[in-house]
Amino acid sequence: MPHKCTKCGREYEDGSTEILKGCGSCGGKKFLYVRQEEIHKDVLEEKSVDEIASETKEEVLEVKTEPDKGVEMYDRVETIRIVGPGTYELNLEKMAEGDERIISVGKEGVYNIDLLSFSKDEKKKQKKKQ
Amino acid sequence: MKIFYQTFGRARKKFSSFLNRFFKKKRTRIGIYGPPNAGKTTLANRIARDWTGDAVGPVSEIPHETRRARRKDDIVISGANGATVTIDIVDTPGVTTKIDYHEFLEFGLEKDEAIIRAREATEGVAEAMHWLREDIDGVIYMLDATIDPFEQVNIMMVGIIESRKLPVIIVANKIDLPDSAPARIRSAFPQHPVVAISGLEGKNTEELYEMMIELFG
Repeated sequence: MPHKCTKCGREYEDGSTEILKGCGSCGGKKFLYVRQEEIHKDVLEEKSVDEIASETKEEVLEVKTEPDKGVEMYDRVETIRIVGPGTYELNLEKMAEGDERIISVGKEGVYNIDLLSFSKDEKKKQKKKQ
Repeated sequence: MKIFYQTFGRARKKFSSFLNRFFKKKRTRIGIYGPPNAGKTTLANRIARDWTGDAVGPVSEIPHETRRARRKDDIVISGANGATVTIDIVDTPGVTTKIDYHEFLEFGLEKDEAIIRAREATEGVAEAMHWLREDIDGVIYMLDATIDPFEQVNIMMVGIIESRKLPVIIVANKIDLPDSAPARIRSAFPQHPVVAISGLEGKNTEELYEMMIELFG
């Protein structure tokens, strides 16, 4: 059965996954199952969607969206993250692994890669480890 | 003729590196690590003064005073029964996961001074981690005993030290302060020796020196 947004009345096909993010038109999180015949009932009979809900005794579905989880510190690719001038976040575990410098500046997705730090002689590194 | 000289040169190099490994004094380089303001430089100064008469670096209540690693070589520490250990002490910049220049404004620094200090402190942490990878044989991990040790940075750092299989002494510092709780640090790190001292007043440093001889000798 198709879904109807309780706020704005927009219809979605049965099983539509779009509604998991909320209504595309108004951002509403509550949806109602309606029978195909009754899908335009709210407009034709000038009833609100909630009234139709109580008439048909269908439950209103509320979609819960997961809050956007930030990237965990140990998943980060950069060694140093410049949040702003004079404000830094340091990835100690990455720093402990090697001298390679990947620095991110400001917003997510902008990275400076220091190629010189990557090109340090591998042989020298191995020898020093011994 | 050329081949003769080349093989002779190679043989000589191998022989001299063999001699070096046999007779060269083994350096025991001990790094003092820990969060900013834990008392690392104060302890480094005390160790240096107790055994050589010199200091290592300046201290301050403003965090991240030490922003470059400072090394003091060939310190001979003697214990009660005559045992000794010769070490190089490396005082490292305070390690932390977040550095914000606003922290320094509270201590009266101007904004541009604070920003420079923050940048230098970040470079300092990178240098401290570099030393840990390259040239450190043992670690003294300093903690302020008035602060809860279950900070992300401490758990990370002790984990990194353990993964590099370095011997480590955890020092619960500042026992001169009334709200110090060294027992809290002992229960946080039961797998490592914990010594409670006051680096500032020199309390119980004998126990630390004995532990250093035992672990780093």
